[in-house]
Amino acid sequence: MKLRRPARGSQGEPITALIDVVFFLLVFFMLIGRMDATAPFDVSPPQALSGQDLPAGGATLSLSAAGDLALDGNSIDRDALAKTLRQRLAQNADLRLRINAHKDAEVRSLLPLIAEAEEIGLRDIVLVVTPAASGTP
Amino acid sequence: MKLARPARAASLISLVPMIDVLLILLVFFMVTSTYLNLDMIPATAPETSARPPGQPAADTPRLMIRLGADGAPALQGQSYTLQTLRPRLAAALAEEPLTQVLILPSGAASTQALVSLLDLAAELGVQQLRVLRLEAEP
Repeated sequence: MKLRRPARGSQGEPITALIDVVFFLLVFFMLIGRMDATAPFDVSPPQALSGQDLPAGGATLSLSAAGDLALDGNSIDRDALAKTLRQRLAQNADLRLRINAHKDAEVRSLLPLIAEAEEIGLRDIVLVVTPAASGTP
Repeated sequence: MKLARPARAASLISLVPMIDVLLILLVFFMVTSTYLNLDMIPATAPETSARPPGQPAADTPRLMIRLGADGAPALQGQSYTLQTLRPRLAAALAEEPLTQVLILPSGAASTQALVSLLDLAAELGVQQLRVLRLEAEP
């Protein structure tokens, strides 16, 4: 029995459309994604209704619920933190410090950090929050 | 005369490596990006105050809100919740919009409780807001 070989298409499936879609997806993820360094511990920021948009840039200080610290994703202790912040402030006088504290972190861990950052000379210190849905605490 | 037709090039440039690179980039951005919706609130009091500099601070009434370890605010010895504190604070601000609000949180209070209280104050339009911190004697 002789099988009939199907006729070969001229060019197969056009891949230009595939490339277009992949390009669109690539640009989409590049635009909406954030490339921040993540802390080595779990941090879920508190919720707030009155927050403003958080622009990128600056130094991110993460504070875990247990009081552990991380600066831009790297674990750090209090002494090294002050030294590093001084160095970064010397390089950029308008440095913004974003304190990304876990919602269950105790105030006794958070407030001394803010006071110390102010003492170092940082003037732009913000708390990172997540926008709360209306009606939630 | 018969001209020899030049042989057609197989393909100009192969697109397959480009598609591979694109897909790798796509997967990289999909995996490494975080998609948290983050906001910020200022952690320090603004330097410019609504109060004219010549006016003594003693003229404006002050409200000190203590924030307990359980996250419950207390005002003048009475414990509130955020819902019951709202009308109390709104009434004080309606009487004197420049009322200074001082927040004295317990060290064991959670960041969420403090942020919720700051949130309430911002929502009600408190213009002079301070967070106090007690320092232990060395």
